[in-house]
Amino acid sequence: MQWAWLIPVFSFAAAPIIVLIGDRLPGKGAVLSIAAIAAGFVFFWIALFGWMGASDGTEHCYIAIGTEALTCNYDRVWFNAGLPGLPGSVQLTWGFFIDPVTIAMLGLVTFVALMVQIYSLGYMHGDPRINWYFAVHALFAASMLTIILSDSFLLLYVAWELVGVCSYLLIGFWHERPAAREAAKKAFIVTRIGDVGLLIGILLLWHHVGSFGITDAFQAVQNGTLSEGVTIAASLLLFLGAMGKSAQIPFHVWLPDAMEGPTPVSALIHAATMVVAGVFLVARAYPLFEAYNAVPLLVVAIVGLVTALVTATIALVATDIKRILAYSTVSHLGLMMLSLGAFGYTAAIFHLLAHGFAKALLFLGSGSVIHSTEKQEISELGGLRRVMPITTIVFAIGAASLGGIPILAGFWSKDEILQAVSHGRNPVFIVFALITALLSALYMGRALFATFFGRLPHELEHTHESPPVMTVPLMLLAILAIGFGLISWNWPGAFGGFGYFVFNHKPHGFEFTWWIGILSAVMAVGAFVLTYLIYEKGSISLESTRRRFAAILRVVENKYYFDEIYQWTIDRVVLVVANFVGFFDRAIINDVGINGPADVVRWAGIKLRLHVTGHLYSYALAMVLGTVGLGIFWWLYTS
Amino acid sequence: MVDLVWFQLLSAALFVIGLYGVLARRSAVLILMSIELMLNAVNINLIAAASHMEGTNPFANFDGQLIAIFIITVAAAEVGLALAIVLRMYRSRSTVNVDEINLMKW
Repeated sequence: MQWAWLIPVFSFAAAPIIVLIGDRLPGKGAVLSIAAIAAGFVFFWIALFGWMGASDGTEHCYIAIGTEALTCNYDRVWFNAGLPGLPGSVQLTWGFFIDPVTIAMLGLVTFVALMVQIYSLGYMHGDPRINWYFAVHALFAASMLTIILSDSFLLLYVAWELVGVCSYLLIGFWHERPAAREAAKKAFIVTRIGDVGLLIGILLLWHHVGSFGITDAFQAVQNGTLSEGVTIAASLLLFLGAMGKSAQIPFHVWLPDAMEGPTPVSALIHAATMVVAGVFLVARAYPLFEAYNAVPLLVVAIVGLVTALVTATIALVATDIKRILAYSTVSHLGLMMLSLGAFGYTAAIFHLLAHGFAKALLFLGSGSVIHSTEKQEISELGGLRRVMPITTIVFAIGAASLGGIPILAGFWSKDEILQAVSHGRNPVFIVFALITALLSALYMGRALFATFFGRLPHELEHTHESPPVMTVPLMLLAILAIGFGLISWNWPGAFGGFGYFVFNHKPHGFEFTWWIGILSAVMAVGAFVLTYLIYEKGSISLESTRRRFAAILRVVENKYYFDEIYQWTIDRVVLVVANFVGFFDRAIINDVGINGPADVVRWAGIKLRLHVTGHLYSYALAMVLGTVGLGIFWWLYTS
Repeated sequence: MVDLVWFQLLSAALFVIGLYGVLARRSAVLILMSIELMLNAVNINLIAAASHMEGTNPFANFDGQLIAIFIITVAAAEVGLALAIVLRMYRSRSTVNVDEINLMKW
């Protein structure tokens, strides 16, 4: 277990090697990248079994403050800044946690990254920059794994920014396309805004705790070193970072645009390596959020709920299959945040995993469609089940899982969230959460039936199924999307369900509230039947509904004008201020402050040099006058 | 014995004549001669002052004479140097008129 730090190191090491000599490696370096993440996946199992074998007394292992889960913490001193014992000196350590959340996330990230990379072999086949693609892929996975393992906020922040850079590089991978460039910049800048909050929050904690260690911060909260105000402020600042990365409203605008990257990259970003980092950060810092009456958690819940609901409505009207999936990701991230905000710690992590597998599956499935048809608009697609049977089946499994069809993973995880919300927050939250669940089933049904069912367009009749290198990862993910939910159950024997593995304060078994379960199951099935009737049978027409709600529809189809509002703000506020600052810099700082003294000196020099006439008598006269002047001065001075 | 003030008047007159010569003459040679005049005016002043020192013996104190001899020595060296400069100036510019020698300016 003490070798778990190697999990990200494999991929970190692979990235520069691929960049330098990738051209000469098998598969242009792809094999090395896949081997590195596969090694990480193997070490995940080692870490899991190591953790299961450990107990409170094991060396380095203890019951964590806050979550009270068994945590193993290995760290070593990196360096001392300043002299030990003197004020202002700080000891920087790096180390890693092996605790249930970390292990769960390690499994998700290594597995999904492995699947995505194998799939990429087929999807990116023949791309001229394939070695660069796999190098950044490896770095991306490594950074995310570092975030998960890190036991100090500083290391977490470093990895956090690395994730941002890698997403920028991968979204803009096809940088010949202007839209990809713009999307990459948008993703980087929007998440950066949140990251500023994260950095301030980390520094605030460091200022009051005196250490970057996450455990040290929890200890300080518990023994009262951190005051109420500081804790709440720090939590909210950390949450700001989480909102940026997890694309919560109002920072959600970057994620749909990130679709400009290659589809496997979208799968990686959406399922495993980037957007879940925000949810993970909140879960990791949960004792901070929970302290002092859990005020920040209310903010988390509200932001999560608003995000989930608003983006679910956008997903319902989006016309690009990848955009539907993108908005559904944002919506589900909102649900995870809502769950965290409603004290549903276990439910949030469980949904994170279930959603991760399902969403990776859906994205890779849509990638399979795009790879074969080179079309993304659902209005141009349809009937693909006749030509792409495997993709159809796995996509249907993913959609059903995410839509909440019973016994698939998404049903159980969504149910856990709804239950946590109904317990933890007031009834308004559960009502809107149920609406979100219904919308989620509706847009999933729409994506499924509009793409794979209905009439097959004439020009797509010769489409063929994707190669096995792409479909095999899909099938593996599909198995998880079906069966993963079963680990939440109370199985007879030692394993008491997911709630005994990831928990906050005390383990709790599988719970099932009948009315929520039945209601959400009925809604999900109903939604899928409804969309089946609309898109496959055509027996229900949406035209009259569309006409009746034309005004609302226009607002939603324009994504509530978020982009337009931001563009207006940038044009009218940011650029105006920037122009003023630029003018101030040029006119005041440069012209007056720097060139001003220089101009005065030059002008004085030009004027003063005229006294040097070159005439001997003028020098002589000056000497005489000077001498006389000195004499007069001396005479006045001494008398 | 002649009163000291007459010597000082003579010295002052010579000095001012020399000063006028330096300021007003155009010929470098004449300026040099005027400088010599000023130096010798100072010499007269010094020796007169020295010989009118208080005390019975007019040669009780040699300070003035000593400095005068120094000045003569320095003046001789200075004239040698300055005349060499004037000679070079004449060779290169064919004139010793200082109004025309005005290269050393802005």
